[in-house]
Amino acid sequence: MNIRYITPFIEATQNAFLELLGSKPEALTPFLVRREEVLDWDISGVIGIAGEARGVVVLSFPRGLAQEITTILTGQMKTSVDDDVIDTVGELVNIIAGNAKRGLEEFKLMISLPSIVQGDSHQIGWPSGSVPIVGIPFTTPQGHFNLSVGLENIITV
Amino acid sequence: MPMRILIVDDSRIMRNIVKNTLLSLKYPADVFTEAADGEEAFSILEKSEISLLLLDWNMPNLNGLELVKRLRSLEKFQNLPIIMVTSEAAKYNIIEAVKAGVTDYLVKPVNEKSLQEKIRNALEGTNV
Repeated sequence: MNIRYITPFIEATQNAFLELLGSKPEALTPFLVRREEVLDWDISGVIGIAGEARGVVVLSFPRGLAQEITTILTGQMKTSVDDDVIDTVGELVNIIAGNAKRGLEEFKLMISLPSIVQGDSHQIGWPSGSVPIVGIPFTTPQGHFNLSVGLENIITV
Repeated sequence: MPMRILIVDDSRIMRNIVKNTLLSLKYPADVFTEAADGEEAFSILEKSEISLLLLDWNMPNLNGLELVKRLRSLEKFQNLPIIMVTSEAAKYNIIEAVKAGVTDYLVKPVNEKSLQEKIRNALEGTNV
């Protein structure tokens, strides 16, 4: 698989976790996401990308890990997906998408405000067309999460 | 002039992270004011004496860049120190923000050392 420009997203994710949470998640082998795939996650933060390439960045967590990250950031124990957990997931995907632009400087890109999708095994509406969506699984001592990226004209397989 | 820092970010978590970072640097708790978007920030700025603005870029209603342009078009805010604190890490974003009139630029996630250094530089030469 020849995947270009995935590295900035991996580095941005690892750096965000390291700076905010004190540990660097390990990136596992990237894979191609099937469009019809139902995600095995409970909460996802979604950022749209526009400009010299259109696309989407999706950061997905199981409920427990999203709550645990929010507990670390707020210092308050989170036992449900409340506004703070939603805010945390949105801000994390915002930081990852914004920071990844540093490694994609040859394209002028704009990022949207984050949206949140919640629910057991929810589904993401990917952009239409032939843009491949690449999933990058990450693992932390507290559990797994996933970053999916699809960028027209930039990510090719 | 007593120090008053306005932290503007649509993420409450991020406002708290910035505030807690500054508290750990021994800034007193009563110097902070918060706003969740550019419009709310502008309304606070019009009514209060703010000595430093820590401003996110991507926000609903009025974003950070639009607020900077609005502020710099008004004489009252020509010299207000503004540090853009944003996830937008591309060089062309930094150039755009500097052209709009930010005093300095800090890419999220913030770390204590760079935040302290940027604030110290931004307030240098002011009477705070």
